[in-house]
Amino acid sequence: MNEFPEIFELNAGDYVETFVKWLTTDHMAVFDSIRDGILAFLLRMQSIISFIPWFVIIGIVFIAGWRLKGVRSGLFYTLMLLTIGLLGYWNDTLLTISIVLTAVIISLVIGIPFGILSANYKRMDNIVRPVLDAMQTMPSFVYLIPAIMLFGLGMVPAVFATTIYALPPVIRLTTLAINSVSKEMIEAAESFGPTPWQALLKVELPQAMPTIMAGVNQTTMMAMAMVVVSSMIGAKGLGYSVLIAINRTDIAMGFDAGISIVFLAIIIDRLTQSIGDKFRHDE
Amino acid sequence: MTIRHKKGILLFFALVLVLAVATACTQEAAPEAEEPAAETPEAEAPAEEEPQELETIIFGDAGWDSLRLHNAIAGFILDHGYGYDYDVIPGSTPNILEGVIKGDVTVLMEMWQDNVPIYPEYREAGTILELGTNFDDNAQGLYVPRYVIEGDPERGIEASAPDLKHVEDLKNYPDLFPDPEDPGMGLIVNGPPSWAVTTIMEVKGAHYGLDEMYNISGSGTAAALAASLSAAYERGEPWVGYYWEPTWITGKYDLVLLEEAPYDDDLWNEEAGYACEFKPSDITIIINPEFAGKNPAVTEFLTNYETSSALTAVGLAYMQDNDAEIDEAAEWFIQEYEDLWKDWVTSEAHEKVMAALK
Repeated sequence: MNEFPEIFELNAGDYVETFVKWLTTDHMAVFDSIRDGILAFLLRMQSIISFIPWFVIIGIVFIAGWRLKGVRSGLFYTLMLLTIGLLGYWNDTLLTISIVLTAVIISLVIGIPFGILSANYKRMDNIVRPVLDAMQTMPSFVYLIPAIMLFGLGMVPAVFATTIYALPPVIRLTTLAINSVSKEMIEAAESFGPTPWQALLKVELPQAMPTIMAGVNQTTMMAMAMVVVSSMIGAKGLGYSVLIAINRTDIAMGFDAGISIVFLAIIIDRLTQSIGDKFRHDE
Repeated sequence: MTIRHKKGILLFFALVLVLAVATACTQEAAPEAEEPAAETPEAEAPAEEEPQELETIIFGDAGWDSLRLHNAIAGFILDHGYGYDYDVIPGSTPNILEGVIKGDVTVLMEMWQDNVPIYPEYREAGTILELGTNFDDNAQGLYVPRYVIEGDPERGIEASAPDLKHVEDLKNYPDLFPDPEDPGMGLIVNGPPSWAVTTIMEVKGAHYGLDEMYNISGSGTAAALAASLSAAYERGEPWVGYYWEPTWITGKYDLVLLEEAPYDDDLWNEEAGYACEFKPSDITIIINPEFAGKNPAVTEFLTNYETSSALTAVGLAYMQDNDAEIDEAAEWFIQEYEDLWKDWVTSEAHEKVMAALK
């Protein structure tokens, strides 16, 4: 009685597989152009980042840390970046940053409008929420393999997979932010008879900004968490070094590359968080 | 709003309660359900005159299909012929190796020693026991789909590199295998970064002068490598990269191994650039020494266990063609190649396995 009857059988995965095969063979032009678009963006981003001399990058991070948080934080971030450089992971770090940044930008461009729409249309929210749950909990290798089928090996499927994982927080928190703008504030604004766009841009979004920024911060952190996973499909960068280290059971190398990821994540986290705090100041 | 909320909370608690009751009930019921299942082996044990509890054999699954097939074949024979329970545990090759040393994994049916530089040390130190060769007629190297060289009229693919035979010929075709991430360069897809063969392929590339026009780029994982080849093949696009036999990929797709000079010990080192084909490596079976000492019957069987790359590929192809599970393919293999394995086992075990097949 405890066994599920075997005569009932459902092979849902087969349909998905057929679907992916159909996409790869019959619609490769579409995916090739998506790939070329993302790749062009990535390569542009990479050439800009690697064009800036290393001390200028450290200088910018120092000034940002100092302005946003204080001299001590600024110095601390400088020290962390110098450590990454001394460990020999500077170039890998830049590669990782360009992949993470590209994924974050795509996530924000898609996520914020979706969040606003979900906040305004309940029905849309009902559809979006389970999709977001699936994006966050589906084991990433399940969609990594189709991503390779569609986009080939390397950075593009990495960006794709990272975006899938990093998109949900910004959508969720944007929806939450817009929904929790106080009723009084909206009523006050409505008495001036604004167009919907004005109400959104001048009242709702500024009010919602601190929470949205928390979403941006979370999205960035999620993207950082995917660094090692995306190296499993051939994306270079810090994650690739971790992967090599894991497979060789090279504890030293694993630690060096791992701690570089941690430092990078801390810097990005603190900086985006304090940008969010600046917005909170206006309240 | 608040009333609806309260209702929701109540409903939630009701659900939790139902679940809790259900779990409690199954826990009570579980021993009853398990008993009849446990009876069968116990009933058999006295007949075999082996009253002591047999250890469970744990096979390592390092992630490729030929290994899974050998696990299933050996597992079936040990289960039905010798009365051992068996289990399969997944993990990467280094982790599995670590497991064999510690005893968490009992047997690894395919030890690709060329891929694990530290392996000879382990063998010398006696922390693992090498039982014998599983097969040694395997091949590896740079593969391209056959349609790249010969075309495929059925699929409407024209031969894009009719003169491509030797690895060095790749110099003439960097544009045919473009690297999207690096315009102007070709792309040779390499193995996962952790495999020693991946470094060997890089040295080879430099030796043949391919690194000037190709990026020889690692693929992250074996799964990613397979997906990359499979996507290119389904689309009918040119692809060149590292692969090895026997695999379901080499069984299912029509691939050509690019030629190199015949294997020569003098050429097979880093200074000489590994400038020859791969030596068919000895794919061996390794076992936890302590387990091997305590279970001579298993050791004897696995020492005798020897197949070939070609036979393995036949088993894998059966699996692909019939959409069969690994276990079904193993049973088919055992049925089909009785003459092969009946010499590996005692005549008693042979009879029992044959009885189990029917």
